Amino acid sequence: MNAVNTWRRVLIGASVLALLVAAGSAPVLAQQLGSFCVPALKSADGAQIYAHICQGCHMPGGKGAVGAGHYPALAGDRALSSASFVALTVLNGRRNMPRFARRADAGEFYFALPVLSDAQVAAVTNYVRTHFGNHYRGKITAAEVKALPR
Amino acid sequence: MGEGTIGMSMSRRQLLRMIGMTAGGAAMYQAMSSLGFAAGSGYAGPPRLSGAPKGSSVLILGAGIAGMVAAYELRKAGYKVKVLEYNARAGGRNWSLRGGDRYTELGGATQECRFDPGLYINPGPWRLPYHHQGILGYCKLLGVQLESFVQVNYNAWLHSSQAFGGKPQRFRAIRADYHGHVAELLAKATQASKLDAHVTREDQEKLLASLREWGALDKNYAYVKGDSSSSRRGYDKDPGGGLAARPVLSEPLRLSDLLGSGLWGALALGDLYEFQTTLFQPVGGMGVIGQAFARELGALIRYNAKVVDIHQDEHGVRATFEDTTAPGSRQSVRADWCVCTIPLSILGQIPMNVGAPMAAAIAAVPYAPAVKLGLQFKRRFWEQDEQIYGGISYTDLPISTIGYPSTGYHGSGKGVLLGGYVWGVDAMEFTAMTPQQRVARAVEYGSRIHPQYPAEFDNGVAVAWHRSPFSMGCFGMWTEATRAQHYDNLCRFDGRIVLAGEHASYLPAWQEGAVTSALDAIGRLHQRAVAGGTPA
Repeated sequence: MNAVNTWRRVLIGASVLALLVAAGSAPVLAQQLGSFCVPALKSADGAQIYAHICQGCHMPGGKGAVGAGHYPALAGDRALSSASFVALTVLNGRRNMPRFARRADAGEFYFALPVLSDAQVAAVTNYVRTHFGNHYRGKITAAEVKALPR
Repeated sequence: MGEGTIGMSMSRRQLLRMIGMTAGGAAMYQAMSSLGFAAGSGYAGPPRLSGAPKGSSVLILGAGIAGMVAAYELRKAGYKVKVLEYNARAGGRNWSLRGGDRYTELGGATQECRFDPGLYINPGPWRLPYHHQGILGYCKLLGVQLESFVQVNYNAWLHSSQAFGGKPQRFRAIRADYHGHVAELLAKATQASKLDAHVTREDQEKLLASLREWGALDKNYAYVKGDSSSSRRGYDKDPGGGLAARPVLSEPLRLSDLLGSGLWGALALGDLYEFQTTLFQPVGGMGVIGQAFARELGALIRYNAKVVDIHQDEHGVRATFEDTTAPGSRQSVRADWCVCTIPLSILGQIPMNVGAPMAAAIAAVPYAPAVKLGLQFKRRFWEQDEQIYGGISYTDLPISTIGYPSTGYHGSGKGVLLGGYVWGVDAMEFTAMTPQQRVARAVEYGSRIHPQYPAEFDNGVAVAWHRSPFSMGCFGMWTEATRAQHYDNLCRFDGRIVLAGEHASYLPAWQEGAVTSALDAIGRLHQRAVAGGTPA
């Protein structure tokens, strides 16, 4: 729900792309070309959010990756047994994982970071807990996400 | 990594502007000096460390710019130095991809760069401001030749998919028209006595004269089609020689179209301190700096060494590492002190016995998402067809940037563009794609600005920084709040360990931040070592 708002807040950066959007022009062309995030993020479901954002680090299939450090595999990760742990991590970030809840400091960046609604945090949480071979029970709701600290 | 500093240094800039408005120029200059602004990056020349305690040793983790500056200076001061580097090459994010190079990103996708000889792309930093005297000093010291990097090109494009029918506009025309219209408005306000409360009558005459000059106004203080405006914004047909010499003047854009386009948003980029002329680039690619350091340090650097544990006690520091060519192997190195330059994105995952303040600081800084694309084309059409020699076009499309090479002008062979510098949410999406998808997408977007793209495209590479096995992100994304809470704790010594790198600087993403943080860290290390005598 906040992707466009986030873009509007990026006025401080003298970057033309931010200002263009700030001037009120939704990037329709980007949408035509199949770009996902800015125009479509606010209506994305859990699977789409995973495919277009999360898998950049956690990889297709939730396989994770190892280099000098690692991105945790979500497939078979027992930490996912707690839905609220997953939702909290998405909301507030954890170490190198950024925060996906609305952030008061968004205006400090010259680029837009994605913002997920409570319903979307719930959706992507439920998605990763029931895919990649995971079968964790108990869906989290948007209302439950809303009640989490951030 | 360039634009990285725009947002980060804004608060300081805002502060300075506020001081300038309320207290005048002298106070502003004083404030600037005390903030280290007017005086440059804080680099005070090469350090003159000497007299390392006999037999004392330093372990340096990471052979990027910070680590290699530290190694170079500490060796010179008499320390026994060892450097551990994860990659099979030195430089870290100082890096150029050239034809024949292979790059495997996290997840396993391998790209083979197929650029022609002499062509390259810098996935990381690509420009050196003249006031970054630290990194420039090491270029000089190491014999790294420099050439000019063109930031502002008046003939490059500003593009909005939503304005002027998606037709890109020349930077020159947008700039001239913006200045011209603003100057005309101010002149009108002045002549209508709307500024009487702010400007004396005598100064109003001077203001009007200056507005005519600055905005290319005509004798009536109007910004209109004429010799004056065309001499700034360019001509429909340029003046030449002979019978067909006569220029054809161009028509300025209307103010409302200009304002609505948002293209004015890119006009001041080149006015930013970091982007002001003169900028430099190393001849042959930014990676030449890292290669020069590596030659200088030789066998001091142990490559393919993945640090898996860092442990200190009261006498020294031991790093345990895996030789990545022999997976599962374990070796360790011990020294009296440790300068750790491993990016926080990775360091936060390595067991290290430091106190809570430094540990919390390491965990507090996520890394910025960014993706760079290098696209090779069959010919330098931007020069041949559009007379764009170096510089940057900006667009509202997710690629944001098209950078033209500031070298090899008029080359008759192929050429490589920076085909995109993608940020934030767009970078996350590009990162989630395969390298081939990223390149295809960049070609698709870029063709909206350069219709030659589809016919002339040859091959490309895409570096998504969060998929980089050695940095897992582009640069440390500090905020005012995290700096206030954690920055000093990140930079302070913890026992025998000190951190350095762009993440331990107020110059995020800039190599100068790596240089100045390394020099600051080793200066403090040397003081401690000398004060403490030879550690056991």
